[in-house]
Amino acid sequence: MAARKELLQQQELIGSLQPALHVPQNWNYEVDGPLFKAYMHTPHDVGGQFDAPALYEEKEEEQWELNTYVTCEVLGWRGIWNSEERRRRADNDLGYALYLGLPYYGRWILAAARMLVDKNHISLTELIEKIAEVKARYAKK
Amino acid sequence: MSHAHTPGNGGADHPAAPMVEEITDFEVLEIAVRELAIEHGLFTAEDHRRFTEWAESIGPAAGSRLVAKAWTDPAFKARLLEDAVKACKEIGIDWAEPTGFGTPSDYMNLRVLEDTPTLHHVIVCTLCSCYPRPLLGMSPEWYRTTNYRRRLVRWPRQVLAEFGLILPPEVEVRVEDSNQKCRFMVLPVRPEGTENWTEEQLAEIVTRDCMIGVALPRPGRTADVHPMHKARRPVKGQAHSGEAAHESKK
Repeated sequence: MAARKELLQQQELIGSLQPALHVPQNWNYEVDGPLFKAYMHTPHDVGGQFDAPALYEEKEEEQWELNTYVTCEVLGWRGIWNSEERRRRADNDLGYALYLGLPYYGRWILAAARMLVDKNHISLTELIEKIAEVKARYAKK
Repeated sequence: MSHAHTPGNGGADHPAAPMVEEITDFEVLEIAVRELAIEHGLFTAEDHRRFTEWAESIGPAAGSRLVAKAWTDPAFKARLLEDAVKACKEIGIDWAEPTGFGTPSDYMNLRVLEDTPTLHHVIVCTLCSCYPRPLLGMSPEWYRTTNYRRRLVRWPRQVLAEFGLILPPEVEVRVEDSNQKCRFMVLPVRPEGTENWTEEQLAEIVTRDCMIGVALPRPGRTADVHPMHKARRPVKGQAHSGEAAHESKK
């Protein structure tokens, strides 16, 4: 069990990811047409949005990123999912916090894990046990 | 996005065997998903290995050869503009690889956008990161960022200027938005001062950025120079996609 202090720190972090409250939008009774449309806008459709100049840098690829790309593609190759399920639904339609917050391939691998559970290829328990086993495996080294 | 930088590459001669305090949640999840999928027979380790081999073989050098050939062979250029996927085969790039029907994510459709002295093309994927992967390799990270995708379609000249490409007002800028069904590549104008060059010489100045449209080829410019964010545990034996190759030719 995590210590109370750690739990509080985690709650604080979760709170900081909630939408900015520059407009009241918590648990609305009514949502009018334009607001509904705005909520329905998927976060990946960003063309034309405002942003400030940024540094355009290269990123050296991590081994897990290449492995993730290949795993997702091979799952498609073997008919477990198709690229549109992966792309539009699983990688993109995540809500703003996850879409903007996670690394590019972080969204991909999360999508693959969720899909395998959703389609009953693996159970959630199996996934959780595997994650624990992988962590323990590298802890020993 | 700051990451802890480990010295060196974490031991290039050993398979990734990170310490527990180092291994990230995504690394754990990646291993877990891959192993579970193999254990359940969804794909084989051999499938994964074959696809990795293909993924590591692609890169912008193929595109550079394509452009150089189009510059020196008008009949090839005509075929390229007519049916780019078919023309790719002439330089040894088969979009049907590595599965026989292409990659699951790259629809076999490529259109080459021909620049003229008064028309400049630049590509983006506003929805995500669609890119002519079989021909140019993996997209650069900046191409995938929300910043590039947000701004390029609205302020193209400003964004291009940030890449060091300042176009005169008489040059029209056309931004092409890629999608899952259609990929684009820019065919830049052959620069002056390259009149008697061989295809190999020409290919050296056609860098990845020139084929995205954020740079123009010119004699002496053989590398795309951007700041580099280093990986904690990079892909084994891989310098960054094509960049090092271009650098070393200088």
